[in-house]
Amino acid sequence: MSTLKYICWRLLMALPVLLGVSVVTFVLMAATPGDPIRLLAGARADADMIALVRERYGLDEPILKQYFIYLKNLVQGDLGNSLRYRQPVADLIARHYPVTLFLVIYTVVLTLPPVVFLSVLSARKPNGVADQVIRVIGVLGLAVPVFWLALLFARFFGAQLGWFPVSGYGETFSEHMWHLFLPALSTMIWVVPILVRNLRAALLDEMNRDYVQAGLSKGLGRKQVFRTHVFPNSVLPTLNLFAVIVAYLLGGSVIVETVYAVPGMGNLMVDSILARDYFVVQGATLVFALTTMLVMLAVDLLSTVIDPRITA
Amino acid sequence: MLKLSYILPGAAAVVLSAGVACADNIVRIASPYKVTSLDPISAAAAGNIEAYGQLYTHLLRQNADGSLEPGLAESWTISDDKLVYQFELRDAKFSDGSTITAEDVAFSLTRAGGENSAYPAPFASISEVKAVDEDTVQIILTKPSAPLLAYTAIFNAGIVSKDDVEARGEDAFDANAVTSGPFTVQDWKPNDRLTLKANPHYWREGYPKIAGVDLIEVTDNNARSTMMLAGEIDVSRDVPWPQVDELNAADNISIPLDESTVIVILLPNHTAAPFDNLNIRKAAAMALNREAVAKVATQGRAQVANSTLPNALSYYAEDVQPPAYDPDGARALLEAEDAVGTEIELLIVPGRQELATLYKAQWDAVGFNTIVEVVDGGLWWDRVLGGEYQVTATWWYNETEDPDLAVRWALCGTCGNRSYYTNYNNERINELTDAALHEQDEEKRAAMYHEIQRISVDELAQIPIYYPPHPNAYSSRISGLTLTPSLQWTLEETEIVGD
Repeated sequence: MSTLKYICWRLLMALPVLLGVSVVTFVLMAATPGDPIRLLAGARADADMIALVRERYGLDEPILKQYFIYLKNLVQGDLGNSLRYRQPVADLIARHYPVTLFLVIYTVVLTLPPVVFLSVLSARKPNGVADQVIRVIGVLGLAVPVFWLALLFARFFGAQLGWFPVSGYGETFSEHMWHLFLPALSTMIWVVPILVRNLRAALLDEMNRDYVQAGLSKGLGRKQVFRTHVFPNSVLPTLNLFAVIVAYLLGGSVIVETVYAVPGMGNLMVDSILARDYFVVQGATLVFALTTMLVMLAVDLLSTVIDPRITA
Repeated sequence: MLKLSYILPGAAAVVLSAGVACADNIVRIASPYKVTSLDPISAAAAGNIEAYGQLYTHLLRQNADGSLEPGLAESWTISDDKLVYQFELRDAKFSDGSTITAEDVAFSLTRAGGENSAYPAPFASISEVKAVDEDTVQIILTKPSAPLLAYTAIFNAGIVSKDDVEARGEDAFDANAVTSGPFTVQDWKPNDRLTLKANPHYWREGYPKIAGVDLIEVTDNNARSTMMLAGEIDVSRDVPWPQVDELNAADNISIPLDESTVIVILLPNHTAAPFDNLNIRKAAAMALNREAVAKVATQGRAQVANSTLPNALSYYAEDVQPPAYDPDGARALLEAEDAVGTEIELLIVPGRQELATLYKAQWDAVGFNTIVEVVDGGLWWDRVLGGEYQVTATWWYNETEDPDLAVRWALCGTCGNRSYYTNYNNERINELTDAALHEQDEEKRAAMYHEIQRISVDELAQIPIYYPPHPNAYSSRISGLTLTPSLQWTLEETEIVGD
């Protein structure tokens, strides 16, 4: 019961945060020069027509009034219409959000097995050959810029060898897996080393604790001590870092989405900012914020499951 | 055995889905330019222009070589005073099977010149478009307009269904738009792609020859090139110049360099120091080795620009010349004006950095002190419209071969946008702009446009740099596709020849 209460409390706390996010986004967009209608209508567009459309869309109203109109609609669950496409922002997000979510989950799924395997391998013999090799490769993975690696992968595995598509999202689940493999792989190569370093350090830390000695001296096997005591205790700090990384992946998806022409949220966000499509930027920011908070909540709940000492 | 029976359908599904993915009779075009609306009058940006041409038919149609031929209008007559154009329509249908009537034409053209139209300039001399009977329509002018026939083929003069637009309003231009052109909408995913399918009711029998088109929006230059190399698309619009050789060298890809009306220029602000001074503009022009700039920027694939108008336009003046490259002369001019060391701010958008570097190096060499400021498109427009700039590097193109709209856009000070917002205002050019529109005599018109170009080049209204072709890459899988100078894909004539 207390867990449920906790969840409700956290969700309630999300409301003021979302309100804050919407205010900040609105102020930032309003303060950015640039006329969405001019960008939409094109270089040679007639000035009178632009003025007319601005008026029709309410863009000439005082900024505070615009915000309150927006807020009023938002409370009723209406994210407004895109200035560019005259379509509901909710529709645009509904089409782009699942793509990014798929990409992030895919990246996570690809990331976890190597992280666990490599960290355990490293921690088993600190400064041994395996540890050194993993460390060097890890530094390389961290040092290579994602966009550059993504470009190389696209050229090599996509254009040269023809193993994977270099663009798009596909229609079916298996097509999604196929189309997003290279984007997920390019992202993963940067994420894995961070998590490996973190988990390895935690593992080493835990392995030197007294309870490990105690367990071993009471005759528990090394494997069992590791599996039931050391590993669960080490996972917690990594799990928190992992939550931050997932939030970062959502926002940072724009890099791989651009290189691989994936029609996801990152793409939508950047295009909308460049086009000054205010309401899409607003809507997308709110969705990003909400997702981040849900991920954080999920990780906190997961932590209490793994370690009951942490109370919700 | 049990396992195999699980695997086989799965494998079959994968093979099948792969087969669907490279659907055989579809042409896939990746372009950085976005389709934001399917309403032909709502925008005049490249992505929209290119899509409108596939969706809506015109009274006259423009050939791949730019010449005009009968379109929806089978024939036409022009009154002796050149004020009444009468068109006889052929039997034609919209994509929903309803007949295209003279009422639809009158409605569409009136709309294109109306207050909701993003680009009413071509129709400014029209007083009325009226349906005489079911298949006869008249365009009545207040003053003669020499390029009027060409303007009926312009992107926003596409014919839309009056009944549908009146019934549905703006919603008439969603994914269920009623179209009159070679294609109709199959699926529209804004900010991703517009999928078109052949319009079964299109009046031109036997066309289009393909089943559909995928117009895919890919902002990133590298991504388009990789997609082209991987065979995921058939056309890549605007290949970046440094990648032209690489793509050309690939099997099955060619870059024929389609002729364009694009002109790359420098816009000086004529009402702000220091470029309000002709000698400073001259010094800036003489400091630039335009041949070298054109060569470096396009790998030698563009022609050096000599006129303020694109070289693909009618009446383009081959014999006008801005001051030749002369760094010493430029330095002397600056010294005479006591302007050595003058700080100038060059405003550019991302993607123009390479050109900006070339300009800066050459300007600084003669004694300017150039600061390059990079801003995004939205801010660029704010600054240029507000006259808050000294000089900016940009480009433009013209939708028709006739120079009327080009002059109105780039050189006329009283035609609505103050000579591409440079505030250049020459009364003689303003007069000639109107006179040339109404003049019916070819030779006299040519002389007028020649004078416009001579004056504007002498006064360096703008500094012309080069005339680039369209660096579009085409797969050998298709034939008959090109991008015309008026930014229309010849998709209705395109055929699939490879696999």
